[in-house]
Amino acid sequence: MNLSELPNRSKVKILEITQPYLRTKLMEMGVVSGVEITLTLKAPFRGPIAFRHRNTQISIRLKDAECILVDQLTP
Amino acid sequence: MNLLLLGNPNCGKSTLFNLLTGLRQKIGNFPGVTVDKKTGAVLMDGVDYIITDYPGIYSIYPKSNDERVVYDALKQLNQDQQPNIGLVVVDASNLERGFLLLSQLASLNIPLVLIINMIDVAERNGVCIDVEALEKNLPSTPIVVMNARVGLGKDRLLKAIQRQTQNLTPEKALSTDEGLLDIEDLPQQEIHTKSHYGNAKTLYEKIVLVKEPVKKKHQMDTWLTHPILGYLIFSLVLLIIFQAVFTISAFPMDAIEQGLQWVSQELANLLPKGPVQALICGGIIPGITGVVVFIPQIGLLFFFLALLEDSGYLSRAVFLMDRLVRPFGMNGRSVVPLLSGMACAIPGIMATRGIPNSKERLITLFVTPLMSCSARIPVYTLIISVVIPAKTVFHFMELQGLVLFALYLLGILAAMFVAGVLQRILRQDQRSIFLMEMPDFKPPHWRNIFVTIFDKIKVFVVEAGGIILALSIVIWALSNYGPSEERRAAVESLKTENRYISADKDQRKLIQASVLLEHSYLGKFGKQLEPMISPLGYDWKIGIAISSSFLAREVFVGALSTLYSHDQTKGTVNLRDKLTHDRNPDGSKKFTLASGISLLVFYVFALQCLSTLAVSRRETGSWKIPLCQFTLYGVFAYLSAFICYQLFA
Repeated sequence: MNLSELPNRSKVKILEITQPYLRTKLMEMGVVSGVEITLTLKAPFRGPIAFRHRNTQISIRLKDAECILVDQLTP
Repeated sequence: MNLLLLGNPNCGKSTLFNLLTGLRQKIGNFPGVTVDKKTGAVLMDGVDYIITDYPGIYSIYPKSNDERVVYDALKQLNQDQQPNIGLVVVDASNLERGFLLLSQLASLNIPLVLIINMIDVAERNGVCIDVEALEKNLPSTPIVVMNARVGLGKDRLLKAIQRQTQNLTPEKALSTDEGLLDIEDLPQQEIHTKSHYGNAKTLYEKIVLVKEPVKKKHQMDTWLTHPILGYLIFSLVLLIIFQAVFTISAFPMDAIEQGLQWVSQELANLLPKGPVQALICGGIIPGITGVVVFIPQIGLLFFFLALLEDSGYLSRAVFLMDRLVRPFGMNGRSVVPLLSGMACAIPGIMATRGIPNSKERLITLFVTPLMSCSARIPVYTLIISVVIPAKTVFHFMELQGLVLFALYLLGILAAMFVAGVLQRILRQDQRSIFLMEMPDFKPPHWRNIFVTIFDKIKVFVVEAGGIILALSIVIWALSNYGPSEERRAAVESLKTENRYISADKDQRKLIQASVLLEHSYLGKFGKQLEPMISPLGYDWKIGIAISSSFLAREVFVGALSTLYSHDQTKGTVNLRDKLTHDRNPDGSKKFTLASGISLLVFYVFALQCLSTLAVSRRETGSWKIPLCQFTLYGVFAYLSAFICYQLFA
C-alpha cells in the first residue's frame, strides 16, 4: 500500500521509498524507512498531501506520495 | 574573516542574520543565479567579520538551483585566501536533520560554530538537550544555544566566533573540497548522505530526550486547507492584499507625484531658463518620479507577503493552490505574483523570487505583465467612455463596466494560455519534486518583515531605478527635441493660423506644445508609424501617444490630451468629448467602436512599461527574457488589435 491511498489521520510506518531522488531528499529531512508518520492534510482535487514526522509537517504531491510504500498502523 | 551562515530552511537563519547585522546589509545576486546574496559586516575587537547568508539547505548536495549556491561556495572555499568559519544554525526542535547537515559540513574540515536556535519552542515541545554531552561529542566545535527572535545568546555567539577565530591554525583555515562529491554523482551522494544520517541519528539519540510530547491540536490547518473554507479564506486574503496594494498605495503615490511636481516647478522658477533647466525639470525629475512612485506598491505587497510567509500561512495557500495552477506549469506560489500583477507588475515580478523551481519561476515571471495593472485603467476608462455606449444590459449590468471586466478577463486568459504554451516548450532543467515544509503557525516577527520591505525597495531603486531613469530621460529628450529648423517653421506658421490668433494666452501655450510634440523626434516616429498602425484603425496622433506611453501606459492619456489641446470644436473641454467628436476628413467619426476595441485589446497585451522590463532584466539576469516578453506581447497586441479592427469595422 502506498501513502497516496490512505485517508487523513492514518498513522503509518514507512517500508520503502522507491524513487531514489525522493528517497535522498526525504532522508535529509529525517524521513527514512522505518519511521512512523501521520497523514495530516489532503488538498482538494487530488492536490498535494501533508504528513507529520516528529515536529515537522511536510507536504508532497500525490504523484510522489505513490512512491512511498507504507504499512498502516492505525486507520 | 568570512563567516558562512548555513542551516536548514525555517531554522531562524534570517532572523539571526538580521539580529547580527541590522540594516547594514548588502544585497546582490549570487553569480549566475537569481538568488539573493545578503552580506553584512560585524566588527569585533578590531576584526572585521563579513557574514554571508546562504539559502536554506537540508544537505550540501543541491536539489535546486538555489541550493546549488551553497555547493559552489563550499567548492570555492579552498581557493579563497581568506579564512572561513561556518556558522551552522539548527532548529532545536529538529535537531536530527540539523545534525545531518552538521555532520556533512564537519567532514569537509571547515571550522564550525554550532548554533542551536529557537530553544524556546523546543522547550515548549518538551525537548531536553544535553549540551554537555553534545560538547563532548563535538570537541572542536563551540556550541551556542540561542533564541534569535528575542536576541537571547547573541553575546555568547560573538564570543564563540572569536574563540574559534583564535583557534584557527593556518592549515585549518584553508579548508579543502576533498570529500565534496561530484554534483552529478547521485548514487554516491545517496550513500554519503545515508552514512551522515546514521551519524546524526546516533548523536540525536545520545543527547536529546523528548519528555512527554505536548499534544498539539492542528485544527487551524484543517480549516485553512478545507475544500470550501480554505479557498474562501484564501480568496479573502488575496482580496485584502489586492485592495490594499491598489487603494492604500494610491495616497502615497499621489503625494509623491504631487510633491515631485512641486519640486520641479520650484526648480523651474529657480534655475535660469535653458537646456539644463529643461533637462532637470522635464527629464530627470519626472524620471525619478517614475521610480519613486512604485515604492508604496512594492512596500505594501512585500509587507503582506512577508506577513503571510513569516506567520506560516503562505505554505498553506501554496498547498491549496498548487493543483489548480500546475497544468499551466506554475507552482502554488505563483498565485501571489499573478494577483499582485493586477495592481502593478513590478512587485509581482519581484515576488516570483519565492518560487523554488526555476522553470515555474520563469513562467510566472513571463506571464505576470499580462495581468491588467492599475496603469492601464486610465487608458481603459478613457477609451471605453468614448466608444462604448453607457447603457444597461440584462436589466442590471452596466455595459461599460462589463467591457472593463472583459478586458481583465482577457488578460488572465492570455496569461494562462502563454503559461500553458511555455510549460510545453520549456525544458525542465532540474528534477522537479515538490517537497515543502509547512512550519507551525507563529506570530510574525516584525523586524524580519521590515527588513524584507527595506531590502526589496532598495533592490528596486538601486538595480532597476537607474535603467528606468536613463530610459525616461531618453524618451523625454526624443519628445522634446526635433529638427530645429522644422520646429521653428512649424511654430512660425502656427502664428498665422486663425485658431492660434483667436486663442487666449493659456490656450496658445497648449497649442504650441502640441505642435512641438508633433514635430519632435518622437512625434515624427509616431507619424512614421501611421502606415503600420492604420490597419488597426489608428491615426498618427494615436501613434505618438502609443510611442510616448512606452514610459508608462497612463502617459497615453497625457500625450493625447496634449495633441488634442488645440481642438476647440464645439466648445468641447474634456478629452473624452474631443475624442468622441474628432472626425476624419470625409466626415466619419475617428473613434469608432472598431478602432476603440482594437486600441483596448492592444493595451491588454502590449508590454508598454519600461519599469517592468527593467525589473524583469534584474530578476532574470539578462535582457533576453524582457526582450522576448516585449516582442512577443507586442506582436500579440498588434495581431489581435488588427483582427478586432477588421472584425468590428
